[in-house]
Amino acid sequence: MINIATYIRPITLPQAVELMAKGDYSPIAGGTDLILQLHHSKPIKLLDISQLGLNFIKNTGDQIEIGAAVTHARLSSDPIIKEFLPVLGKAAGLVGSLQIRNRGTVGGNIANASPCADTAPALLIYDAEVLLKSKKGERQIKLADFITAPYSTLLQPDELLNSFICKNAPKNSNFSYVKVGRRQAVNISRMSIAVSLCQDDNQTIKNVQIAGGSIFPAPSRLLEVENMLIGQPVSAELFEEAGNFAAELMIKYSGHRWSTPYKQPVLAGLMKRALIETSTNRTS
Amino acid sequence: MNRIEANLQSEVTAVKFRLNGISYEKDAPLNMTLLDFLRDGLGYYGTKCGCEIGECGACTVIIDGRAVNSCLVMAAQIDSAEIWTIEGVAPKGASKLHPVQEAFIESDAVHCGFCSPGMIMSVIALLLKNRKPCDDEIKTALAGNLCRCTGYIQIIDAVKKAASVITDADLAKFIPAKH
Repeated sequence: MINIATYIRPITLPQAVELMAKGDYSPIAGGTDLILQLHHSKPIKLLDISQLGLNFIKNTGDQIEIGAAVTHARLSSDPIIKEFLPVLGKAAGLVGSLQIRNRGTVGGNIANASPCADTAPALLIYDAEVLLKSKKGERQIKLADFITAPYSTLLQPDELLNSFICKNAPKNSNFSYVKVGRRQAVNISRMSIAVSLCQDDNQTIKNVQIAGGSIFPAPSRLLEVENMLIGQPVSAELFEEAGNFAAELMIKYSGHRWSTPYKQPVLAGLMKRALIETSTNRTS
Repeated sequence: MNRIEANLQSEVTAVKFRLNGISYEKDAPLNMTLLDFLRDGLGYYGTKCGCEIGECGACTVIIDGRAVNSCLVMAAQIDSAEIWTIEGVAPKGASKLHPVQEAFIESDAVHCGFCSPGMIMSVIALLLKNRKPCDDEIKTALAGNLCRCTGYIQIIDAVKKAASVITDADLAKFIPAKH
């Protein structure tokens, strides 16, 4: 049995934000995270956002806007995502099982704010901003600021997560998304790394974006590793060094935890693997 | 008070949907998942209740042409959905089962049988999108369906056997009308 006090499914955004203004509704889209919580929660009031037209992917030139109700299955197969935000497509294709990807949405993945959410590092690579709407108006926040701690965001009780606005990947960039978990399928990430990398004709790294999940308390960019790599010629030694540096940073910012003896060498290896794998994936 | 009575006394929301080709207008109890509603509300016990957390796939049904875990959908959410469960797979009134079901039997892909209804719904959803899946595509499509008996070899054989004989007519009814 699940505990729902009220279920309402508005069909326009103005209706939805009007209801949200009361401040006691929880938005639901696919529900693959939320319904699990409903088995144990007090009865809550649900507002279904699936009929609000938020399942769009819009290409506006140098940006892509993705509606909050776009499913992981759609992200992993959509041609616009494949061309301009390839890390996001790859990460979404590794979420849960096909059944979960068919229901679960990118908005839910981010609003739930699990430290291991697969789409978070991928969106961070593309400097994603979160567009929030309420009766009072709208505001746009950097995703890097939006997730504040595990399962905690800046979303206010009267706000709806409308969409994500991402910068396109540069042309001819290399990318990868790698994760470790307990098994290959239906795999909750123990750690994940997303990379987008551009190099010049001399194999020198021109620019690089790296983000990780379950490394720091919230999904975040590894700016110090990025800075270390920029301007350096690509080599196995450099990638190994970057892996060791990422593991040092994890301990610096997340402290020593029960899992550190496992995570430290695994992160070093994962970072190295993610950088090596970029050479096999290239955007046109 | 048993579980079913508790469910039936709860608040409801009106839903219109199609289940196995038949139109329904029902009051969906707010405290039921689609899995609860199919089994305890409508008496369709073919869809199995395994883990109830979206890990095992025993409760897989097809909604609007896609495989989903019915334990992770609320009954209240099925308004305007087209749902297929294992009860609707075999053609009505025919003496034979559906080719996917036949292939599972011929390949010894059914042992204890608990995963089979969900497994077969995932296979049909796969064949709707991809009529000639390779081994990797089959494994990806079935990654969310656990089988503790077969070791999966026979199941993958069954999918290939089904793919080799299935026709458009065998899949037509599962294609959602509204898309």
